[in-house]
Order: sequence, then C-alpha cells, then structure tokens
Amino acid sequence: MSGIWYYVFTLIFFLFDYFILAMGLNIQYGETGILNFAYIGFVAIGAYVTGALSLPNSAGTAQHYILGLGLPFPVNLLLGGLAACVFAVVVALMTLRRLRTDYLAMVLISLSLVLYDVCNNFVPLFNGADGLYNVPEPFAGALHLTTNSFIPFFAAVTGAIALIMWLVMSRITRSPIGRTFRAIRDDDVVAAALGKDVFRQQLKSMLIGSFYAGIGGGLIIQFSGSFNPTAWLPGETFVVFAVIIVGGVGNNIGLLVGSLLVETLLVHLPAFLPAIPGHPGLIEYFDAVVIGVLLMVMLWFRPQGAVPERVRRASSFGVRERLLGDSGAVSDDIAPSPQLAIESAAGPGDGGGQ
Amino acid sequence: MSELGVLDSMDTLEQNAALRCEAIVKAFQGVHAVNGAAFEVPKGQITALIGPNGAGKTTVVNILSGSMTCDSGREFIGATEVTNWPSHRIARLGLMRTFQLSRELGGLTVLENLLVAPGHQAGEFLFNVLFRPSLVRRQEREHVERALDVLDTYGLYRLRDNRASELSGGQKKLLEISRAVMASPEILLLDEPMAGVNPALIERIGGYILDLKRDGVTVLMIEHNLNVVEQICDHVIVLAEGRTLATGRLSELRENAEVVRAYLGEVIDASTKH
Amino acid sequence: MQLFWLSVGFGLVTASVLAISAVGLSLQFGITNYINFAYGDFMALGAFFSYVLNNEVLHLNIWFALVIGSFGMGVLAVLFNRLILSPFARRFNKTFYVLIVTFGLSLILLNLEYSIWGADVRFFKMPIDRVLHIGPLLLTKDQLIVMAIAIMLMLGVHAMLKTTRLGKSMRAMSDNTTLAMTSGIDTKRITTITWFLSGTLAGISGTVLGITEGNLTPASGELFLFVIFAAVIVGGVGSIYGAMAGAVLIGLATEISAAFINPAYKLDTAFVILILTLLIRPSGLFARPGRA
Repeated sequence: MSGIWYYVFTLIFFLFDYFILAMGLNIQYGETGILNFAYIGFVAIGAYVTGALSLPNSAGTAQHYILGLGLPFPVNLLLGGLAACVFAVVVALMTLRRLRTDYLAMVLISLSLVLYDVCNNFVPLFNGADGLYNVPEPFAGALHLTTNSFIPFFAAVTGAIALIMWLVMSRITRSPIGRTFRAIRDDDVVAAALGKDVFRQQLKSMLIGSFYAGIGGGLIIQFSGSFNPTAWLPGETFVVFAVIIVGGVGNNIGLLVGSLLVETLLVHLPAFLPAIPGHPGLIEYFDAVVIGVLLMVMLWFRPQGAVPERVRRASSFGVRERLLGDSGAVSDDIAPSPQLAIESAAGPGDGGGQ
Repeated sequence: MSELGVLDSMDTLEQNAALRCEAIVKAFQGVHAVNGAAFEVPKGQITALIGPNGAGKTTVVNILSGSMTCDSGREFIGATEVTNWPSHRIARLGLMRTFQLSRELGGLTVLENLLVAPGHQAGEFLFNVLFRPSLVRRQEREHVERALDVLDTYGLYRLRDNRASELSGGQKKLLEISRAVMASPEILLLDEPMAGVNPALIERIGGYILDLKRDGVTVLMIEHNLNVVEQICDHVIVLAEGRTLATGRLSELRENAEVVRAYLGEVIDASTKH
Repeated sequence: MQLFWLSVGFGLVTASVLAISAVGLSLQFGITNYINFAYGDFMALGAFFSYVLNNEVLHLNIWFALVIGSFGMGVLAVLFNRLILSPFARRFNKTFYVLIVTFGLSLILLNLEYSIWGADVRFFKMPIDRVLHIGPLLLTKDQLIVMAIAIMLMLGVHAMLKTTRLGKSMRAMSDNTTLAMTSGIDTKRITTITWFLSGTLAGISGTVLGITEGNLTPASGELFLFVIFAAVIVGGVGSIYGAMAGAVLIGLATEISAAFINPAYKLDTAFVILILTLLIRPSGLFARPGRA
C-alpha cells in the first residue's frame, strides 16, 4: 500500500474517532451544560486501560504497567470505557454537587493536569513518560493482517463502532432523558423545581459521556499501538470543544461535520505537511492558533454551529394534530384563548384575549 | 411589629392544611429576610400571600419550594415534615411553583417545556431508553397528548413548536403556569403570576387559577393586586418584615383592625404604582 | 531540620510569586465574574516581554525590564478585554461561552509564543547572585527582592482597595455590578483599569516566576496557572485577601512536600489541598461563608 493510502485511512480513522469523542463531550457540555475541561483525561484513562488490558503481564516486558491481562479486543475496549466511567463517578461525587460553572471548570482543568502529572511521573502505573507501546493489534493474528492492511481494516472497525454509538446516542438525545438534560442545561433551578434530581441526571450525563471518551481513547491506542503523555496534553480538550462548537452543539450530525472540519482537516492533515526547515513544530503551532481563532469566529458569527440543533416538532411525536382556527400569525402580546381564536380567526391581529 | 399581635381568624381555617410552616427564619449576610413567618395553607383553596416589598414573600416561596434552605423553622406538606428538603423531593410530593421573573427553558420548544414536567418518566432511565423503546414511546405519546391539551387550554397551542425563548412576556407567564400544571400538582405556589401583564390577561389567568381550584388544587399565590385577591382568593396571609402579620379573609382583615387597614392601604399604594 | 528550613525558604518564594498572580486573577474575577483561563499565558507573555527587553533589545537590567514588560502585558490585557472578551461576555449571558473563549485565547497565545520563541528553555540575564542567611532561612538576594516586590504589591493593592476612590468603586462593583452602575460608578472605566492591573500583575508574576525558577518556556505559565487556581479556591474565589492567604498556604505546602515527599508531585499536593477544601468548606477557607 502506498504512503498516500496510509495517510487517507489515518485521516478516516481520526474522523470517526473524534466523532465518538465529540458525541461524548456533547452530551455533557452541549446537552447538559457541564463544562468538562478535564475531558481529555477521561480519554486517556480509556486509552491506558484498554492498552494495559490487552498487553501481556508486564513482568516479561521492558515496560512497567498495571493490569496486563492479555484480554482480546472488544473486551478490553469495553472495560476501558467502563474505567473512564468509574473515574467519572469519583469526579462527579467530588465536584458536581457543590460547584458552580466556573469553579467546576477550574477544578476539572486542575484535575486534568494532576492526572497528567501522575501518569507522566509514576512509572509503575502506565510506564510514565514513555507511555505504553507494542500494544497488540486487534485481529491482526487471526486475520493475518500486515501492518499495511491493518490500518484500513481498523479504520473500518472504528467506523462501524462509531455508527453504533451514533445510533445509541441519537436514541438517548431524542428520549425524555435527553430532554431532561437540556432542561438542566437551560435552567437547573427550574429543572429541580419540576422534580428532577439535577445531580443524579448530571451524573448520568457524565457517565454516558465518559464512556464515549473511554471508547474513543481505547480505539486510539488500538489503532496506533502506543499512547504516551504527549498525546493528551490538557489543551487537547480544547480540540474536542472546537469540534463541537464548529460542528453544532446538540446535533449529532453536526459533530461529524465538526470532526471533519477540525480534526481531519485542521489537526491531522497539516501534520502530514513537510516541516519548514529550521522551524520544527511551526506548522503545529500555527495550526493550534488557527483552531483557536476559528472557534472564536464561529462562536461569534454562528454560535449554533455549522449544523444547528434541530427543533423537535410536535408532529414528530406521531400524535393527531388538533383542529383549531389559529392559523394566523403569532401576536406580539399573547395568543388568544382557543374559543376566542375560533371567533377571531378572520382577524388574528386583534388577539390579546379581549 | 410584634405588638400588633397575630390577627386570629382561625374559624375560617379548615382542619387539614395542605402546607404549613412554623417560625421560618432566613438571613442574608446578617439581614433577616424572613424572621419567624408561620402560617397554614388550607387544602383546596386559593390563598394569597401579600405584604409590602421586602416583606420576604418570594423568599418564603423559595424556602417552601426547596429552592432555598432556611436557617431555622419547620415546614410540612400534609403530615410530612419537609424542612430543607431539596426542591426535587418537594416537587415529587406534588408541590409545584412558578417564578416571579419567568424562567422558561429557552432552548426547548414550548411543547418540550411541558414534556419535562411529568414525574416518573420511563424514558428518563437509560435502561428503558435502550432496551424498552416501545414503553418509552407509548408513555411519551400519552404525555404529548396531555401537553397539547394543556397548551390548548392555556391558549399556547399554536406556539407549541416555537422555542420558549421566542415568546413574549405574557406568553412566558402562561408557559410557567401551564408547565407547573402539566406536572399534576396538588399544591401550586405562584409567585406574582399576574405581574407585568395586561388587564385582559390578568382576568384570564384569574380564570385559570379558579379552574385549578375546581380541580382540587391548593393554590398559594403572591399577589399585589388587591382586586384580584378579593375576587379569587379565599384566604389571605399578610407578611411584613419577614413575619406573619395577620391571616384571614380579606374582608375581615379590612374591618377587624385599624392598624391593619392602614397597613393594607400601603399595599394598595404599592400595587397601583406597579 | 535544615531541609525543612530550606524548603520553608523556597515556600515563601513560591508564595510570593503565587500571591502576585493570585491577586491579579482575583481582581479581574471580582469585577467581571468569570475566570480567565488565559491568565497563565498572560504570565508567560509578560515574562517574554521582559526577556526581550533584557536579552534581545535594549539589554535592560532585569528589574527594569520587569517593570516595562509587565506594563506592556497590562496594556495588552486591556486590548484583549476590549476586543475579544468583553464583547463575548456582553453578548452571551451564560458564563460558559466566555470561559471557552478564554480557553481559546489561552491556546492561541501559547502557540503564538511557541512560534515566536520556540520550545527551548530561556534564561534571564542576571547579575551574579549571593546567598544570604536570614535567621534559619537560606535565601538568595534575588529571592529576597522577589519577596520584597510581592510584599510591596500586596500592601499597594490593600491601600488602593481601602483608601482610594478607585478601590472603593472596584469593591462596590465586585459586590454588585448593577447597583454600582446605578450609583454613578463608571463601570467601563473600572473594568479597563482592572484588566490593566490584572495584566500587569500577571506580567510581574510571570517574570519573577522565570527568575526564581531560573528558566522560562511558553508553557511555564500554564502549568503554574493550576497552582494559582488552588490558591484562589482555597482562599475563596473573588476574595483578594483570601487569595493572599491561599498563596502562602499553597506555596509553603507545595515546597515542603516537595522536600519531604517527591518534587515530581509538587502540583499534586496543591490539588489535594484544593479537593480537601472543596469537600470541607467549598466557599474557601478564608472567605465569608455564603458568598461562593
């Protein structure tokens, strides 16, 4: 396989993977209003646990890590996702109940840095700064895949997983659960006054989002075979935020568009450009600046994103429409009462319920 | 104020209070907003909570509905003590409230605002959403039917698909009430449901509140407009400086004490300025 | 015991840097009511301004460079507020929009610094330093100057808040912006001055951080930001005096733990204190309760 295809399938992989990551952050931030600035930490936990579970016992290798159970592919990935959920419960219990938005953001970004610090320095956990490597490629043995054929294969696997996770997420966001999340996002005091246990619902949203983060992270380590602290600097959280905001908060298709625009075109495509001689890393730095600027421009000119949140119309619930004579324009002050509406159908402008 | 004493008119009070509070105290940075308020809200009636600005009316409603905790005092819904319960638990006992400044869920449609309200929705559980979709769908359809009925009653039907943030002030007031009604409350606390709306709408909202009473709902409403109080409320609680000054029928309050009449005069002044 | 006193010395130095930066962050938070996540990058940028004046053009003495570089950062902070942050804060009433914008500004500044100065570690040009014994403490002359700067700045901020009209207006605004506006305070002017002070303090703390740590990279500020958060939350968000007290507590705790446990986990000590504070007293150890 030529180099160009290697690049293409790598781009496709990251398109799908960041679609999953964006769905996870979107349910937390876009649907529930939890500003999770530690999101990349949940991704990292998923990646490390998935990797460490599929690696053999560390005693026989040059690396140091916990777990090392040699578990086969989908099992280790699921457990990686669940590990991120466990972390979410701990974080939520510590912070969600007692902190307002900006406190929460401060604590979470700090948490993300501490987690980074621990993983980077404490070698017995996940091999410190070197990170995990030589992670077995899923199915490579069984299907006799070479390094070249593994990449398109795994990009396809990730696409299938993303499709399933998209179907599940659509069902969640369209159901009463998603509506309650959005109610909390818009006004948590009102949601509580309507009998919603805000903490419980936020915890639920954190769990769902963290599972997606963990799976997305697990797929990264399975795809590239390695994962180390340089892959998840706390600023990476921002890239996922950019995907959501550019694509469209609260719209799953928008997230795929955002993933294409931000992750594929802005983050990964330039990484394949040749470096400018004498200025190593300059392209990456500029890239990050462009992402930051793009995000601000989008937030200002099109805060709803490229593909905005859809309005859930009454007709979509499959109930019979009522027959009312209120086909007129919405009056400025107040809609007339139904009886009046019928009487004044000819001149709806005179509403106001005389 | 204590020398005024509490004006007793317990004769009109029924035995079974839907809502009762004792010696509620709440201070903000040393200033007492509520200072020993105590009253009962009779079941199945419309009770007005009146008093001058700063009397602590909204704070009392916030405490009763659990949106705020009190420093001391006790609160009962029926026979259940609910002192300082979080608002979602109080709501689940059938107490709903509206807010003085309308707090619509702006990103949701008018219909969705109502659909949030019902308690015990099967579709709020992840398990049901993923594995029992037909149950969720069936219940959802029932809720939508009922929500459309409620919207129909409150004259918001044709706005059902508009985002709540797009509504006018009066429409938001109606949305507040209809959302609370959608939750099938037994007790409804209305924080100035008629503030800032035109006279025609005041009349309509008054009609809605009387309808709710007919359906057996207990209503406690903060209201400045004494004409409205006179027309629809069975019972009045006067709050001043965080204390219960008097309770009874408005006519009794007017006749019974010279001082109270002077005090009510002040309220009338305040309401005409409004 | 010697190790203990040595680490106390380091702790006081860290506390000095922290106090300057935490007060700068808190001043701005009190007025605008949102956290500036780009504050760490303001620090680094201010330090690089001093670095340029010290090493590349003019070749000023480091302490002069510090003053001019930090004022430069103050002016830039005003511009950032006018051109970016304040329009977003006015347009969206939900805090998280402007928080994301500050997060984005942080990313932009960090990477601009990287593209200009690269990832290499830089050093200030300093005169040869001397070590002094003060009681049981062992401190260098530069460290003493840094501590003196911090004490002077804290006293200055205190005097400004308590005695000047500007300070009184700032306190009024931080208590209630709408009320301050209706009582005739020029809130726009106060906001601008606050951003200038906040940016200047960021520049000063960034530069003295570079001096005391002995090195400077674009990321120095971002890593330190989190220690500032710890100091600010422990002290009570928005409380200036709380921020000062939190700075001393966190500064001492991190350096003493670094000496006795492991320097690699310095940050984590701060985080543990932060979490304990949140669990025990979420409004902060030194704030009046109920103002969280």
